[in-house]
Amino acid sequence: MTLQNSFSRRRFLGQSAFAGTGAAASVMSLDILKSEAFSKQLKQKGKRVLLLWLAGGVSQLETFDPKPGRLTGGPFQAIQTAVPGVEISELMPKMAMRLKHTAIIRSLNTKIGDHGGGSRLMHLGRRDEPNLSYPDMGSVMARELGRLDSKVPDYVTFYTATEGRGNAVGRPGFLGSRYAPMFLTTDNKPQNLGRLESISDLDHRERADLRRALSARFAQGRVSPALGSHNVAYGRVRGLMSSEALFDITREPKSIQDKYGPSLFAQQTLVARRLIEAGTPFVKVSRAWWDSHGQNFETHLEMVTELDHVMSTLLDDLEERGLLEDTLVITLSEFGRTPTINGSLGRDHFARAWSATLSGCGIRGGTVFGSTDEDGQHVKDGEVGAAELFATIYAAVGIDPHHEYYVGSRPVPLVDIGTDAISEVLV
Amino acid sequence: MRLSQLIILVVLGLTPLSMVCGETSIQDIVDSMLDAKMRQVNITAAPLADDYNILRRTTLDLIGRIPTAAEVDRYVTSEDSNKREQMVDQLLRSPAYEKHLAYDLNLLLSPAGNSELQSYLEQAVTQRRGWDQMFRAMLLGDYEDELERQAMKFVKLRVKDLDNLTNATSSLFFGVNISCAKCHDHPLVIEWTQAHFYGMKSFFNRLFENGDFIGERDYGALKYQTTDGEQLDAQMMFLSGKAIEEPQWTSPNEEKQKAEKQQLEQLAKDKKPVPIPQYSRRAQLLDIALRGDDLNYFSKSIVNRLWYRTFGYGLVMPLDQMHPSNPASHPKLLDFLAKDMSDHGYDLTRLIRGLVLTQAYARSSRYDGENRPPQMWFAVANVKPLTPQQYAAALLFGARNPSQFANDDATKNQTEIDSVHAQARTLAVKFEVPSDEFQVSVDEALLFSNDAALEKDLLANRADRLIGELMNLSTDADVVALASKSIMNRPVTQQEQRVMMKYLKHRKDRREAAVIQLVWALLTSSEVRFNY
Amino acid sequence: MAEIGPKFFKEVKQITRADILLRISYQKSMQSVYVGSSDAKIYSVDPLADKPEFHEFQGHTSYVMGLVDTEKHLVSGSYDRSLIWWDKESREIVRRVEDAHDRWIRNIFLSPDGQTVLSVGDDMVCKLWDAKSGEFVRELVSHQKITPNHFPNMLYATAVSPDGNLIATVDRIAKIKIWDFKTGEEVTELEAPKCYTWDSEKRIHSIGGIRSVCFSPDSKSVAVGGIGPIGNIDHLESPGRVEMFNVASGEKTHEFEGDKNVIGLVEQIVFHPSGKWLMAVGGKHTGWVQFLDLEKKEVIRQVDAPMHVHQVAVTDDFGTVYGAGHGKLIVWSLVN
Repeated sequence: MTLQNSFSRRRFLGQSAFAGTGAAASVMSLDILKSEAFSKQLKQKGKRVLLLWLAGGVSQLETFDPKPGRLTGGPFQAIQTAVPGVEISELMPKMAMRLKHTAIIRSLNTKIGDHGGGSRLMHLGRRDEPNLSYPDMGSVMARELGRLDSKVPDYVTFYTATEGRGNAVGRPGFLGSRYAPMFLTTDNKPQNLGRLESISDLDHRERADLRRALSARFAQGRVSPALGSHNVAYGRVRGLMSSEALFDITREPKSIQDKYGPSLFAQQTLVARRLIEAGTPFVKVSRAWWDSHGQNFETHLEMVTELDHVMSTLLDDLEERGLLEDTLVITLSEFGRTPTINGSLGRDHFARAWSATLSGCGIRGGTVFGSTDEDGQHVKDGEVGAAELFATIYAAVGIDPHHEYYVGSRPVPLVDIGTDAISEVLV
Repeated sequence: MRLSQLIILVVLGLTPLSMVCGETSIQDIVDSMLDAKMRQVNITAAPLADDYNILRRTTLDLIGRIPTAAEVDRYVTSEDSNKREQMVDQLLRSPAYEKHLAYDLNLLLSPAGNSELQSYLEQAVTQRRGWDQMFRAMLLGDYEDELERQAMKFVKLRVKDLDNLTNATSSLFFGVNISCAKCHDHPLVIEWTQAHFYGMKSFFNRLFENGDFIGERDYGALKYQTTDGEQLDAQMMFLSGKAIEEPQWTSPNEEKQKAEKQQLEQLAKDKKPVPIPQYSRRAQLLDIALRGDDLNYFSKSIVNRLWYRTFGYGLVMPLDQMHPSNPASHPKLLDFLAKDMSDHGYDLTRLIRGLVLTQAYARSSRYDGENRPPQMWFAVANVKPLTPQQYAAALLFGARNPSQFANDDATKNQTEIDSVHAQARTLAVKFEVPSDEFQVSVDEALLFSNDAALEKDLLANRADRLIGELMNLSTDADVVALASKSIMNRPVTQQEQRVMMKYLKHRKDRREAAVIQLVWALLTSSEVRFNY
Repeated sequence: MAEIGPKFFKEVKQITRADILLRISYQKSMQSVYVGSSDAKIYSVDPLADKPEFHEFQGHTSYVMGLVDTEKHLVSGSYDRSLIWWDKESREIVRRVEDAHDRWIRNIFLSPDGQTVLSVGDDMVCKLWDAKSGEFVRELVSHQKITPNHFPNMLYATAVSPDGNLIATVDRIAKIKIWDFKTGEEVTELEAPKCYTWDSEKRIHSIGGIRSVCFSPDSKSVAVGGIGPIGNIDHLESPGRVEMFNVASGEKTHEFEGDKNVIGLVEQIVFHPSGKWLMAVGGKHTGWVQFLDLEKKEVIRQVDAPMHVHQVAVTDDFGTVYGAGHGKLIVWSLVN
């Protein structure tokens, strides 16, 4: 048995509980094998992730993997892009011009065709286990790319439409509440960021100081990670309150607001850009709801037009600000849609051969990985699943996908064992 | 003490019967075994906590709220040598005890956020049903019995995903998380193989939903694929590896299937339960789990969970890794308590009572020494995050005018207490249920810092609120003293008093605001957030 | 003379196909129909022949969304934005207008006098073309390009009144515009708002729109068809509806809200020459045909169709109905 294995086994057997000392240590004690130096390096580079979560299952055939001229292709044609030999749907003329930033993965086969199961898989990167609470991608990014004493939120998600909201798993799992998302639904900004009028700024601050003093006295001689987290949470309040302005898009020049446009999706993406710019490591903007069982072409005409505009505006904006090389932009759904068209001119759930895209940080833009057959019914080559996709995402922002957390004594790898990132789409 | 004196005390209800009969109490055995181990590993335990600490801790753990100022006074000033035991028994007799235990059991047994089992659990606990009876009711409840019908929700909530049902049953009732063994033999525990996982699942594979009821077929095998790609029929197997031979069965032909389908449809329409088959795999599971050589899985698991609930750390950790390669920290003690459990009808309250009466339970959570002993030795009490229900109650009671609960009329007093306690349920939804690796989220801190509704509720200047009472006091010292006592259930220390009076002094021009802010700082302090 | 009427409506024959037949036109002299397909081809076929043969017209590169027979030519329009004039015998392209519209063509219509072909597309423009030469005559521009919810609008259908004086165009956001045929001026705007569902809460997009339009035989009224308000806009889950307006006054004279037997879109409306009843066809996953009494304002009959019906072509005597739809070509009879 290697040293690693025997160590793992001992830890797994529940011996030697770790007594953390203080907040920072208690957070770090979660994985003793993680290299301190490595993580410092990572954080200095300030990588961020912006996930455009296309909830409901966007059709790959009406976006990034069109099949014109086939009975499964639908009425929309394919257009040339700025990348020779690569065509995408005519519904995305703006992205066609900007494809040099983007890698398209066309060969996802994730096997789970229900919204709940598919969403969980595409948020966690793996199948769920009933007795181990895995963190979702956002929580992992918040942990690995964020700063302990961060004054901006680490993890923000927007999900305004009510359909499918419950499926969009945003949970820190065994990483702890510290990495829970700020989950924005009705409002485009978090709740309770504004100081109440009943208290002055001075009193608000000094009241918190009093709380801290009393709690510090209590904490003497007492140790527990949960106790430490209590005071860490309160310690972040003032900093987060000062980030309230980040959520206010009226602070952007009108020209920028106009570029993004008036739709909700566009506005939220603009807020996301502001958060990214201020250092938030992970923002998810959900655009629900793509589940076009009937009238697939009408729905995609509407929504892909919007996506094309928002995504290209975002990429332009990030590039102009010099942020694109440090920001990974992802488009992802829980699955794709059937090549076969049903009687309502709709497409149904399809997890067997579908697409996702990665743009920006760490990505070799202008590439296509994998392909589907002429009707889009099966993956032809380069078949990958959620694990490979997640490994690629982590690798793109500089996180080693083979990294392991420790839950108690049990090693938990970041992605499923034996999975590698798709090197072809990485620089 | 002479026998006659003992008998008198027994009659007066002041001495437990067990002592008279020469039976050593659970608490004494627990303490002697824990102490012995501590001596063995050369550890000095923390000193005992003071009366204020013990009262708060026990009250929170047994009935889910903090003690009132009047209750604190009564307990602390009593000179009765037996006062702790009396206090415990009084709490155990309170209806709030049953509600609180049922609440915690529901957190354990229901999927997150679901309280469908709460009503059943409250009634079962009130009726002092044994844990084995409850297990039977939850797995194979008699639909004719109104109570057991409710218990069957345990299965109904999970019947659409039998893997989930298998894992939940195995984890929650046997302390064994078998889920890893589904796809391959367990990587680290040689004893758990795929055969074990599918063996356990076989007890459930014949279950189905029929209208409002759970039905079970008398035929049907579970097939699975091994890592080698072999297709196998699962044989019923308990966690111990004991395989079950079952009577021969045949799959029904098409005609029979049709008839069965019609019969089931009719039953569903008539809202009638499906009759239990002659041979029920569930009944088979209950038989093994509760009767033979393997009943220690069941008994040890519940002991470990109740121990964890009391001490904040289990004899086996994690709670769902009770397997031969993960021994308990005190194996003999676990054995003893498990046997005691099964010998006494799986009476949950009996064990709970014993545990909270130990010296170990009464230790301080503060350890000022250099080398803090690991949790597994129970030398120092653990700091435990309050459940949402407990925290809500702590806030509501702390923010009330203490005189509300100082009525001479005991009945009126109890009514007031019950009313506030019931309100905790509503406030509780704002807080997260603490898991094993619980971390307080920043949302909670923001909620307390800036939420108008919360502030309005807790910090109103009204006669029935603490703030209202504080505004009537003339000196800052009085304000600080009363606020501390009400919220923290103990007298303020000198150092604290200094800090708080200074805060008030700087705000003479806005006294009401200052008092409100002071109360806020106390309510949101870590001391209130945790059980220590 | 044989009796003809809704109560005699029955299926005569159905032909199953792998593609979606979207448009159909009846060729009187050749006893055949032309169908426009999702496979970008047009086919002429005699459905009632023993072994019907489908003869291909190749030239479009996307869904064929319009087919009219101008006697001299067959004219088609497509999602590929082009209009094609075909020689009916040789099946060759006589004239192609590439980029006839800036966006996808949804439908075309032949004026009653056979002189003008009208086309509508998602550029929200109705264009008039000389039926013989294919030359552009004029365009009708007024429908909004962008909906109030900031999404692209769609222009679904157009029709000309039998007296040749008026044009109607209908769009996604349920607006009906009436135009003067000769001058091209907009005469009036009507609306049938229940035909458009915008979901701002659950799914944040829309569904529906007015899909069909037809003038009454006396040219005084216009009927439109679509689908009623929908709760779950992932599906066509609402009954097909028909509304009728008096053009001069703008008053709504008829409203058929449909029921559970006619769930889906009303894709086309055909008036009986008497003006006393009309036929509405459509569907969702499957389809139906409904006959509506315009005098009594009630449903005469509803019949299930074996597929979602996209368009029908009716013989002059109103005795035979040819239907094009999802995966099928069908022939019905209205004759006793």
